[in-house]
Amino acid sequence: MKGVIFNVLEEMVEENCGMAVWNDILNQELPEGGIYTAGESYPDEQLFNLVNAVCARTKLPMEKVVGNFGEFLFTQLAARHPVFLESPADLKSFLKSIDSVIHVEVRKLYDNPNLPSFKYSEPDPDLLIMQYRSPRKLCILAEGLIRGAAAHYGQSVEISHPICIHRGADWCDLHIRFLP
Amino acid sequence: MSDNVNPYKQAHTREKAARLKAEQLLEDKSRKLFQQKIKLEESYIKLRQQESAMLQNEQLATLGTLSAGIAHEINNPLAFVLSNMESLNNYTKSFQKLLLLTQELIQTEGIKETEKSLLTDLIEQEDLAFINEDVDELLKDTSDGLHRVRKIINNLRSFSPTQNTDKVETNLLKGLKSTLKLLDSELKGSVDLQLSLLPLPNTLCNPNELNQVFLNLILNAKQATEDTKEATIKISSHYQNDTIFIRIQDNGCGMTDEVKKQIFIPFFTTKPMDKGTGMGMAIAYGIIANHQGKIIIESIEGSGATFEIQLPVIQTKL
Repeated sequence: MKGVIFNVLEEMVEENCGMAVWNDILNQELPEGGIYTAGESYPDEQLFNLVNAVCARTKLPMEKVVGNFGEFLFTQLAARHPVFLESPADLKSFLKSIDSVIHVEVRKLYDNPNLPSFKYSEPDPDLLIMQYRSPRKLCILAEGLIRGAAAHYGQSVEISHPICIHRGADWCDLHIRFLP
Repeated sequence: MSDNVNPYKQAHTREKAARLKAEQLLEDKSRKLFQQKIKLEESYIKLRQQESAMLQNEQLATLGTLSAGIAHEINNPLAFVLSNMESLNNYTKSFQKLLLLTQELIQTEGIKETEKSLLTDLIEQEDLAFINEDVDELLKDTSDGLHRVRKIINNLRSFSPTQNTDKVETNLLKGLKSTLKLLDSELKGSVDLQLSLLPLPNTLCNPNELNQVFLNLILNAKQATEDTKEATIKISSHYQNDTIFIRIQDNGCGMTDEVKKQIFIPFFTTKPMDKGTGMGMAIAYGIIANHQGKIIIESIEGSGATFEIQLPVIQTKL
Protein backbone atom coordinates (compact mmCIF):
# COMPACT_ATOMS: atom_id res chain seq x y z
CA MET A 1 0.00 0.00 0.00
CA LYS A 2 1.34 3.43 -0.93
CA GLY A 3 2.59 5.65 1.90
CA VAL A 4 0.20 8.41 0.89
CA ILE A 5 -2.72 6.31 2.20
CA PHE A 6 -0.99 6.03 5.59
CA ASN A 7 -0.31 9.78 5.53
CA VAL A 8 -3.99 10.50 4.92
CA LEU A 9 -5.04 8.10 7.69
CA GLU A 10 -2.70 9.93 10.04
CA GLU A 11 -4.22 13.20 8.91
CA MET A 12 -7.74 11.95 9.58
CA VAL A 13 -6.93 10.58 13.04
CA GLU A 14 -5.10 13.76 14.00
CA GLU A 15 -7.96 15.92 12.77
CA ASN A 16 -10.67 13.92 14.53
CA CYS A 17 -8.94 12.49 17.59
CA GLY A 18 -5.78 14.53 18.06
CA MET A 19 -2.09 13.96 17.51
CA ALA A 20 -1.69 12.10 20.80
CA VAL A 21 -4.11 9.38 19.70
CA TRP A 22 -2.16 8.76 16.50
CA ASN A 23 1.07 8.62 18.51
CA ASP A 24 -0.51 6.13 20.91
CA ILE A 25 -1.72 3.95 18.04
CA LEU A 26 1.70 3.97 16.44
CA ASN A 27 3.43 3.21 19.73
CA GLN A 28 1.08 0.34 20.30
CA GLU A 29 1.07 -1.13 16.79
CA LEU A 30 4.47 -0.15 15.39
CA PRO A 31 6.83 0.85 18.21
CA GLU A 32 9.75 1.07 15.77
CA GLY A 33 7.94 2.34 12.67
CA GLY A 34 5.20 4.69 11.64
CA ILE A 35 7.25 6.73 9.19
CA TYR A 36 5.51 6.82 5.84
CA THR A 37 6.55 8.52 2.63
CA ALA A 38 3.98 9.05 -0.12
CA GLY A 39 5.78 7.26 -2.95
CA GLU A 40 7.02 4.27 -0.94
CA SER A 41 5.04 1.05 -0.56
CA TYR A 42 4.36 -0.53 2.84
CA PRO A 43 2.79 -3.86 3.84
CA ASP A 44 -1.00 -3.87 3.58
CA GLU A 45 -1.21 -5.50 7.03
CA GLN A 46 0.25 -2.38 8.64
CA LEU A 47 -2.64 -0.30 7.30
CA PHE A 48 -5.23 -2.90 8.33
CA ASN A 49 -3.72 -3.08 11.83
CA LEU A 50 -3.73 0.69 12.15
CA VAL A 51 -7.36 0.89 10.98
CA ASN A 52 -8.28 -1.83 13.49
CA ALA A 53 -6.57 0.16 16.21
CA VAL A 54 -8.50 3.29 15.16
CA CYS A 55 -11.75 1.28 15.37
CA ALA A 56 -10.82 0.06 18.85
CA ARG A 57 -9.98 3.59 19.97
CA THR A 58 -13.05 5.25 18.52
CA LYS A 59 -15.34 2.30 19.29
CA LEU A 60 -16.74 2.65 15.79
CA PRO A 61 -17.45 -0.35 13.55
CA MET A 62 -14.81 -1.13 10.89
CA GLU A 63 -17.26 -0.41 8.05
CA LYS A 64 -17.94 3.09 9.40
CA VAL A 65 -14.25 3.92 9.89
CA VAL A 66 -13.21 2.63 6.47
CA GLY A 67 -16.13 4.37 4.76
CA ASN A 68 -15.32 7.68 6.43
CA PHE A 69 -11.69 7.19 5.63
CA GLY A 70 -12.64 6.76 1.94
CA GLU A 71 -14.48 10.09 1.95
CA PHE A 72 -11.59 11.82 3.71
CA LEU A 73 -9.09 10.15 1.38
CA PHE A 74 -10.91 11.59 -1.64
CA THR A 75 -10.69 15.17 -0.36
CA GLN A 76 -6.99 14.75 0.41
CA LEU A 77 -6.13 13.14 -2.92
CA ALA A 78 -8.20 15.75 -4.75
CA ALA A 79 -6.20 18.49 -3.02
CA ARG A 80 -2.92 16.81 -3.99
CA HIS A 81 -3.90 15.98 -7.57
CA PRO A 82 -6.42 18.58 -8.72
CA VAL A 83 -5.48 17.91 -12.35
CA PHE A 84 -7.59 14.73 -12.43
CA LEU A 85 -10.70 16.71 -11.54
CA GLU A 86 -10.21 19.36 -14.17
CA SER A 87 -11.47 17.44 -17.21
CA PRO A 88 -14.43 15.39 -16.00
CA ALA A 89 -17.38 17.75 -15.92
CA ASP A 90 -19.53 15.65 -13.62
CA LEU A 91 -19.40 12.79 -11.15
CA LYS A 92 -20.24 10.10 -13.69
CA SER A 93 -17.47 11.18 -16.09
CA PHE A 94 -15.05 11.32 -13.19
CA LEU A 95 -15.94 7.82 -11.97
CA LYS A 96 -15.58 6.50 -15.51
CA SER A 97 -12.15 8.08 -15.80
CA ILE A 98 -10.74 6.23 -12.77
CA ASP A 99 -9.67 3.12 -14.66
CA SER A 100 -8.74 4.72 -17.97
CA VAL A 101 -7.09 7.95 -16.78
CA ILE A 102 -6.21 8.03 -13.08
CA HIS A 103 -4.96 4.46 -12.79
CA VAL A 104 -2.99 4.84 -16.03
CA GLU A 105 -1.24 7.89 -14.56
CA VAL A 106 -0.58 6.10 -11.27
CA ARG A 107 1.05 3.21 -13.15
CA LYS A 108 3.37 5.69 -14.85
CA LEU A 109 4.69 6.77 -11.47
CA TYR A 110 4.80 3.54 -9.52
CA ASP A 111 5.81 -0.01 -10.34
CA ASN A 112 3.22 -2.65 -9.38
CA PRO A 113 0.80 -0.32 -7.60
CA ASN A 114 -1.70 -3.23 -7.26
CA LEU A 115 -4.61 -1.05 -8.22
CA PRO A 116 -8.16 -2.35 -8.26
CA SER A 117 -9.79 -2.81 -11.64
CA PHE A 118 -13.15 -1.41 -12.65
CA LYS A 119 -15.63 -2.34 -15.32
CA TYR A 120 -18.53 -0.06 -16.03
CA SER A 121 -22.08 -0.51 -17.22
CA GLU A 122 -24.97 1.91 -17.49
CA PRO A 123 -28.32 0.11 -17.61
CA ASP A 124 -30.06 3.51 -17.52
CA PRO A 125 -28.80 7.12 -17.67
CA ASP A 126 -29.19 7.61 -13.90
CA LEU A 127 -27.46 4.41 -12.90
CA LEU A 128 -23.79 3.52 -13.12
CA ILE A 129 -22.64 0.06 -12.11
CA MET A 130 -18.96 -0.16 -11.21
CA GLN A 131 -17.66 -3.70 -11.04
CA TYR A 132 -14.83 -3.64 -8.50
CA ARG A 133 -12.14 -6.31 -8.39
CA SER A 134 -9.20 -6.28 -6.03
CA PRO A 135 -7.44 -8.87 -3.90
CA ARG A 136 -7.35 -6.24 -1.14
CA LYS A 137 -11.16 -6.35 -0.94
CA LEU A 138 -11.40 -2.66 -0.06
CA CYS A 139 -14.85 -2.15 -1.57
CA ILE A 140 -16.05 -0.19 1.45
CA LEU A 141 -13.15 2.21 0.99
CA ALA A 142 -14.17 2.52 -2.69
CA GLU A 143 -17.71 3.35 -1.58
CA GLY A 144 -16.34 6.07 0.71
CA LEU A 145 -14.21 7.47 -2.11
CA ILE A 146 -17.29 7.60 -4.38
CA ARG A 147 -19.21 9.47 -1.66
CA GLY A 148 -16.27 11.89 -1.37
CA ALA A 149 -16.32 12.43 -5.12
CA ALA A 150 -20.10 12.94 -5.09
CA ALA A 151 -19.71 15.62 -2.42
CA HIS A 152 -16.99 17.30 -4.49
CA TYR A 153 -19.26 17.49 -7.55
CA GLY A 154 -22.30 18.40 -5.45
CA GLN A 155 -24.14 15.38 -6.80
CA SER A 156 -26.59 13.45 -4.62
CA VAL A 157 -26.18 9.72 -5.00
CA GLU A 158 -27.56 6.52 -3.60
CA ILE A 159 -25.00 3.74 -3.42
CA SER A 160 -25.96 0.10 -3.10
CA HIS A 161 -23.71 -2.91 -3.03
CA PRO A 162 -25.77 -5.97 -4.05
CA ILE A 163 -22.83 -8.22 -4.98
CA CYS A 164 -19.86 -8.20 -2.62
CA ILE A 165 -16.51 -9.99 -2.28
CA HIS A 166 -17.13 -10.17 1.44
CA ARG A 167 -20.24 -12.24 0.77
CA GLY A 168 -18.44 -14.86 -1.33
CA ALA A 169 -18.52 -13.23 -4.79
CA ASP A 170 -15.44 -12.80 -6.98
CA TRP A 171 -16.14 -9.11 -7.39
CA CYS A 172 -18.30 -6.30 -6.07
CA ASP A 173 -21.02 -4.48 -7.94
CA LEU A 174 -21.34 -0.90 -6.77
CA HIS A 175 -24.62 0.61 -7.99
CA ILE A 176 -24.45 4.38 -8.05
CA ARG A 177 -27.80 6.02 -8.65
CA PHE A 178 -27.60 9.69 -9.54
CA LEU A 179 -30.39 11.58 -7.80
CA PRO A 180 -31.85 14.83 -9.13
CA MET B 1 2.76 34.61 20.16
CA SER B 2 -0.38 33.32 21.85
CA ASP B 3 0.22 30.97 24.78
CA ASN B 4 -2.35 28.40 23.69
CA VAL B 5 -0.55 27.67 20.40
CA ASN B 6 1.63 24.62 20.77
CA PRO B 7 4.95 25.47 19.08
CA TYR B 8 5.64 21.79 18.32
CA LYS B 9 2.31 21.41 16.61
CA GLN B 10 2.99 24.53 14.58
CA ALA B 11 6.40 23.18 13.57
CA HIS B 12 4.81 19.79 12.81
CA THR B 13 2.24 21.42 10.52
CA ARG B 14 4.99 23.37 8.79
CA GLU B 15 7.11 20.27 8.32
CA LYS B 16 4.14 18.36 6.98
CA ALA B 17 3.46 21.10 4.44
CA ALA B 18 7.12 21.03 3.42
CA ARG B 19 6.98 17.25 3.02
CA LEU B 20 3.87 17.48 0.90
CA LYS B 21 5.58 20.00 -1.34
CA ALA B 22 8.68 17.80 -1.62
CA GLU B 23 6.54 14.79 -2.49
CA GLN B 24 4.65 16.79 -5.07
CA LEU B 25 7.96 17.92 -6.57
CA LEU B 26 9.17 14.33 -6.68
CA GLU B 27 5.96 13.23 -8.36
CA ASP B 28 6.14 16.00 -10.96
CA LYS B 29 9.74 15.11 -11.72
CA SER B 30 8.90 11.41 -11.91
CA ARG B 31 6.09 12.15 -14.35
CA LYS B 32 8.39 14.28 -16.48
CA LEU B 33 11.02 11.55 -16.36
CA PHE B 34 8.45 8.99 -17.43
CA GLN B 35 7.39 11.14 -20.39
CA GLN B 36 11.01 11.63 -21.41
CA LYS B 37 11.60 7.89 -21.11
CA ILE B 38 8.65 7.22 -23.42
CA LYS B 39 9.97 9.78 -25.93
CA LEU B 40 13.44 8.29 -25.71
CA GLU B 41 12.07 4.81 -26.30
CA GLU B 42 10.12 6.03 -29.31
CA SER B 43 13.20 7.75 -30.73
CA TYR B 44 15.25 4.63 -30.13
CA ILE B 45 12.72 2.44 -31.96
CA LYS B 46 12.60 4.95 -34.83
CA LEU B 47 16.38 5.06 -34.97
CA ARG B 48 16.59 1.28 -35.07
CA GLN B 49 14.00 1.17 -37.84
CA GLN B 50 15.86 3.81 -39.84
CA GLU B 51 19.15 2.03 -39.29
CA SER B 52 17.64 -1.24 -40.44
CA ALA B 53 16.01 0.46 -43.46
CA MET B 54 19.32 2.12 -44.36
CA LEU B 55 21.13 -1.19 -44.09
CA GLN B 56 18.51 -2.86 -46.22
CA ASN B 57 18.74 -0.09 -48.83
CA GLU B 58 22.51 -0.42 -48.96
CA GLN B 59 22.22 -4.19 -49.25
CA LEU B 60 19.68 -3.87 -52.02
CA ALA B 61 21.72 -1.23 -53.83
CA THR B 62 24.72 -3.58 -53.78
CA LEU B 63 22.53 -6.42 -54.96
CA GLY B 64 21.15 -4.16 -57.69
CA THR B 65 24.63 -3.39 -59.00
CA LEU B 66 25.60 -7.04 -58.73
CA SER B 67 22.42 -8.11 -60.52
CA ALA B 68 23.05 -5.59 -63.29
CA GLY B 69 26.58 -6.99 -63.73
CA ILE B 70 25.41 -10.60 -63.77
CA ALA B 71 22.55 -9.79 -66.11
CA HIS B 72 24.92 -8.03 -68.49
CA GLU B 73 27.50 -10.83 -68.40
CA ILE B 74 24.91 -13.54 -68.98
CA ASN B 75 22.96 -11.54 -71.52
CA ASN B 76 25.83 -11.27 -74.00
CA PRO B 77 26.54 -15.03 -74.37
CA LEU B 78 22.80 -15.66 -74.11
CA ALA B 79 22.19 -13.45 -77.12
CA PHE B 80 24.48 -15.49 -79.35
CA VAL B 81 23.32 -18.81 -77.89
CA LEU B 82 19.72 -17.85 -78.73
CA SER B 83 20.74 -16.71 -82.18
CA ASN B 84 22.72 -19.93 -82.75
CA MET B 85 19.73 -21.93 -81.58
CA GLU B 86 17.66 -20.36 -84.33
CA SER B 87 20.32 -21.25 -86.93
CA LEU B 88 20.61 -24.74 -85.46
CA ASN B 89 16.85 -25.17 -85.85
CA ASN B 90 17.13 -24.26 -89.52
CA TYR B 91 20.20 -26.50 -90.04
CA THR B 92 18.39 -29.39 -88.39
CA LYS B 93 15.49 -28.99 -90.77
CA SER B 94 17.96 -29.32 -93.70
CA PHE B 95 19.46 -32.49 -92.21
CA GLN B 96 15.98 -33.88 -91.58
CA LYS B 97 15.10 -33.22 -95.25
CA LEU B 98 18.29 -34.99 -96.33
CA LEU B 99 17.54 -38.00 -94.12
CA LEU B 100 13.99 -38.20 -95.44
CA LEU B 101 15.22 -38.06 -99.02
CA THR B 102 17.83 -40.75 -98.33
CA GLN B 103 15.21 -43.01 -96.72
CA GLU B 104 12.97 -42.53 -99.78
CA LEU B 105 15.82 -43.19 -102.20
CA ILE B 106 16.69 -46.44 -100.44
CA GLN B 107 13.18 -47.64 -101.21
CA THR B 108 13.55 -46.91 -104.98
CA GLU B 109 15.18 -49.04 -107.74
CA GLY B 110 17.35 -46.24 -109.12
CA ILE B 111 20.18 -46.82 -106.65
CA LYS B 112 22.70 -49.69 -106.52
CA GLU B 113 22.29 -52.39 -103.90
CA THR B 114 25.78 -51.73 -102.46
CA GLU B 115 25.04 -48.03 -102.02
CA LYS B 116 21.62 -48.85 -100.60
CA SER B 117 23.26 -51.16 -98.08
CA LEU B 118 25.88 -48.52 -97.18
CA LEU B 119 23.21 -45.88 -96.56
CA THR B 120 20.97 -48.29 -94.58
CA ASP B 121 23.93 -49.35 -92.40
CA LEU B 122 24.87 -45.73 -91.75
CA ILE B 123 21.30 -44.84 -90.77
CA GLU B 124 21.15 -47.82 -88.43
CA GLN B 125 24.64 -47.44 -86.95
CA GLU B 126 24.14 -43.74 -86.19
CA ASP B 127 20.55 -44.35 -85.08
CA LEU B 128 19.53 -41.51 -87.38
CA ALA B 129 15.84 -42.45 -87.34
CA PHE B 130 15.74 -41.98 -83.52
CA ILE B 131 17.84 -38.80 -83.68
CA ASN B 132 15.40 -37.44 -86.23
CA GLU B 133 12.52 -38.12 -83.86
CA ASP B 134 14.31 -36.81 -80.75
CA VAL B 135 16.06 -33.74 -82.11
CA ASP B 136 12.91 -31.58 -82.35
CA GLU B 137 12.05 -32.18 -78.70
CA LEU B 138 15.66 -31.54 -77.64
CA LEU B 139 15.76 -28.28 -79.52
CA LYS B 140 12.37 -27.22 -78.18
CA ASP B 141 13.35 -27.94 -74.57
CA THR B 142 16.66 -26.13 -75.03
CA SER B 143 14.90 -23.16 -76.54
CA ASP B 144 12.34 -23.09 -73.69
CA GLY B 145 15.16 -23.24 -71.14
CA LEU B 146 17.01 -20.40 -72.83
CA HIS B 147 13.90 -18.25 -72.95
CA ARG B 148 13.40 -18.90 -69.24
CA VAL B 149 16.97 -17.77 -68.61
CA ARG B 150 16.28 -14.66 -70.67
CA LYS B 151 13.14 -13.94 -68.58
CA ILE B 152 15.12 -14.29 -65.35
CA ILE B 153 17.82 -12.00 -66.71
CA ASN B 154 15.21 -9.43 -67.73
CA ASN B 155 13.72 -9.62 -64.25
CA LEU B 156 17.16 -9.08 -62.76
CA ARG B 157 17.59 -6.05 -64.97
CA SER B 158 14.28 -4.65 -63.73
CA PHE B 159 15.63 -4.91 -60.19
CA SER B 160 18.82 -3.07 -61.11
CA PRO B 161 19.24 0.68 -61.31
CA THR B 162 18.39 1.92 -64.79
CA GLN B 163 18.53 5.08 -66.82
CA ASN B 164 15.52 7.38 -66.97
CA THR B 165 14.29 6.07 -70.28
CA ASP B 166 10.76 5.54 -71.50
CA LYS B 167 9.29 7.95 -68.99
CA VAL B 168 6.15 9.86 -69.79
CA GLU B 169 3.89 12.13 -67.81
CA THR B 170 0.85 10.14 -66.78
CA ASN B 171 -1.67 9.58 -64.06
CA LEU B 172 -0.95 6.49 -61.99
CA LEU B 173 -4.64 5.91 -61.27
CA LYS B 174 -5.09 5.05 -64.94
CA GLY B 175 -2.45 2.32 -64.68
CA LEU B 176 -3.79 1.11 -61.35
CA LYS B 177 -7.32 0.81 -62.72
CA SER B 178 -6.18 -1.01 -65.86
CA THR B 179 -4.13 -3.42 -63.71
CA LEU B 180 -7.23 -4.08 -61.60
CA LYS B 181 -9.22 -4.74 -64.77
CA LEU B 182 -6.54 -7.21 -65.84
CA LEU B 183 -6.82 -8.98 -62.48
CA ASP B 184 -10.60 -8.88 -62.40
CA SER B 185 -11.11 -12.61 -63.02
CA GLU B 186 -8.26 -13.50 -60.63
CA LEU B 187 -9.77 -11.49 -57.76
CA LYS B 188 -13.49 -11.93 -58.43
CA GLY B 189 -15.15 -14.23 -55.95
CA SER B 190 -12.03 -14.88 -53.89
CA VAL B 191 -11.40 -11.48 -52.27
CA ASP B 192 -13.46 -8.48 -51.28
CA LEU B 193 -11.75 -5.63 -53.09
CA GLN B 194 -12.28 -2.25 -51.43
CA LEU B 195 -11.12 0.84 -53.30
CA SER B 196 -10.64 4.30 -51.91
CA LEU B 197 -8.90 6.14 -54.70
CA LEU B 198 -8.46 9.85 -54.28
CA PRO B 199 -7.34 11.86 -57.33
CA LEU B 200 -3.60 12.01 -58.04
CA PRO B 201 -1.59 14.52 -60.04
CA ASN B 202 0.23 13.49 -63.21
CA THR B 203 3.83 12.45 -62.77
CA LEU B 204 6.77 11.55 -64.97
CA CYS B 205 7.21 7.79 -64.82
CA ASN B 206 7.46 4.58 -66.73
CA PRO B 207 3.79 3.48 -66.66
CA ASN B 208 4.48 -0.07 -67.84
CA GLU B 209 6.99 -0.64 -65.07
CA LEU B 210 4.70 0.82 -62.42
CA ASN B 211 1.80 -1.29 -63.65
CA GLN B 212 4.04 -4.28 -63.09
CA VAL B 213 4.61 -3.11 -59.50
CA PHE B 214 0.86 -2.81 -58.92
CA LEU B 215 0.34 -6.23 -60.46
CA ASN B 216 3.03 -7.85 -58.32
CA LEU B 217 1.79 -6.27 -55.09
CA ILE B 218 -1.87 -7.05 -55.71
CA LEU B 219 -1.11 -10.64 -56.69
CA ASN B 220 1.04 -10.96 -53.61
CA ALA B 221 -1.82 -9.64 -51.45
CA LYS B 222 -4.20 -12.07 -53.10
CA GLN B 223 -1.88 -15.01 -52.50
CA ALA B 224 -1.42 -13.93 -48.86
CA THR B 225 -5.18 -14.12 -48.29
CA GLU B 226 -5.66 -17.56 -49.82
CA ASP B 227 -6.28 -19.19 -46.42
CA THR B 228 -8.13 -16.22 -44.93
CA LYS B 229 -11.84 -16.23 -44.23
CA GLU B 230 -13.45 -13.09 -45.62
CA ALA B 231 -10.32 -12.16 -47.55
CA THR B 232 -10.13 -8.43 -48.12
CA ILE B 233 -7.78 -6.25 -50.14
CA LYS B 234 -8.03 -2.52 -49.62
CA ILE B 235 -6.39 -0.26 -52.17
CA SER B 236 -6.20 3.44 -51.55
CA SER B 237 -4.45 6.42 -53.04
CA HIS B 238 -3.81 9.93 -51.90
CA TYR B 239 -1.48 12.81 -52.52
CA GLN B 240 0.27 14.92 -49.91
CA ASN B 241 3.30 17.23 -49.93
CA ASP B 242 4.37 16.43 -53.50
CA THR B 243 4.25 12.71 -52.80
CA ILE B 244 1.88 10.12 -54.19
CA PHE B 245 0.81 7.41 -51.75
CA ILE B 246 -0.66 4.12 -52.94
CA ARG B 247 -1.51 1.57 -50.27
CA ILE B 248 -2.31 -2.07 -50.84
CA GLN B 249 -3.55 -3.68 -47.67
CA ASP B 250 -4.61 -7.28 -47.12
CA ASN B 251 -5.90 -9.24 -44.15
CA GLY B 252 -3.87 -12.32 -45.07
CA CYS B 253 -1.17 -14.30 -43.35
CA GLY B 254 1.18 -11.34 -42.84
CA MET B 255 4.89 -11.90 -42.38
CA THR B 256 7.55 -12.20 -39.74
CA ASP B 257 10.18 -9.52 -39.18
CA GLU B 258 12.70 -11.89 -40.75
CA VAL B 259 10.65 -12.15 -43.95
CA LYS B 260 10.15 -8.37 -43.95
CA LYS B 261 13.92 -7.90 -43.91
CA GLN B 262 14.47 -10.17 -46.90
CA ILE B 263 11.37 -9.63 -48.98
CA PHE B 264 13.05 -7.37 -51.56
CA ILE B 265 16.09 -9.60 -52.04
CA PRO B 266 16.10 -11.24 -55.48
CA PHE B 267 15.01 -14.89 -55.48
CA PHE B 268 13.81 -14.72 -51.87
CA THR B 269 10.43 -16.45 -51.66
CA THR B 270 8.24 -18.02 -49.01
CA LYS B 271 6.21 -19.80 -51.67
CA PRO B 272 6.79 -23.38 -52.83
CA MET B 273 9.45 -23.84 -55.55
CA ASP B 274 6.94 -24.11 -58.37
CA LYS B 275 4.76 -21.19 -57.16
CA GLY B 276 7.12 -18.25 -57.28
CA THR B 277 10.48 -17.14 -58.59
CA GLY B 278 11.15 -14.79 -55.68
CA MET B 279 11.61 -11.91 -58.12
CA GLY B 280 8.20 -10.19 -57.87
CA MET B 281 8.97 -8.04 -54.85
CA ALA B 282 12.59 -7.47 -55.88
CA ILE B 283 11.37 -6.14 -59.23
CA ALA B 284 8.79 -3.95 -57.50
CA TYR B 285 11.50 -2.55 -55.23
CA GLY B 286 13.86 -1.93 -58.15
CA ILE B 287 11.22 -0.12 -60.19
CA ILE B 288 10.10 2.07 -57.30
CA ALA B 289 13.73 2.87 -56.39
CA ASN B 290 14.33 3.84 -60.01
CA HIS B 291 11.46 6.29 -59.65
CA GLN B 292 13.10 7.80 -56.51
CA GLY B 293 10.32 6.33 -54.42
CA LYS B 294 10.07 3.80 -51.65
CA ILE B 295 7.91 0.92 -50.50
CA ILE B 296 7.03 0.80 -46.81
CA ILE B 297 5.83 -2.48 -45.33
CA GLU B 298 3.75 -2.81 -42.21
CA SER B 299 2.86 -6.32 -41.17
CA ILE B 300 2.31 -8.52 -38.19
CA GLU B 301 2.44 -12.25 -38.75
CA GLY B 302 -1.11 -13.57 -38.95
CA SER B 303 -2.67 -10.12 -39.19
CA GLY B 304 -2.20 -9.06 -42.78
CA ALA B 305 0.17 -6.69 -44.47
CA THR B 306 0.21 -3.20 -45.90
CA PHE B 307 2.50 -2.14 -48.71
CA GLU B 308 2.68 1.59 -49.18
CA ILE B 309 4.24 2.96 -52.34
CA GLN B 310 5.51 6.51 -51.95
CA LEU B 311 6.47 8.27 -55.17
CA PRO B 312 7.61 11.85 -55.57
CA VAL B 313 5.62 13.82 -58.13
CA ILE B 314 7.92 14.71 -61.03
CA GLN B 315 6.60 17.00 -63.70
CA THR B 316 7.99 17.57 -67.18
CA LYS B 317 10.10 20.68 -67.35
CA LEU B 318 8.80 23.08 -69.98
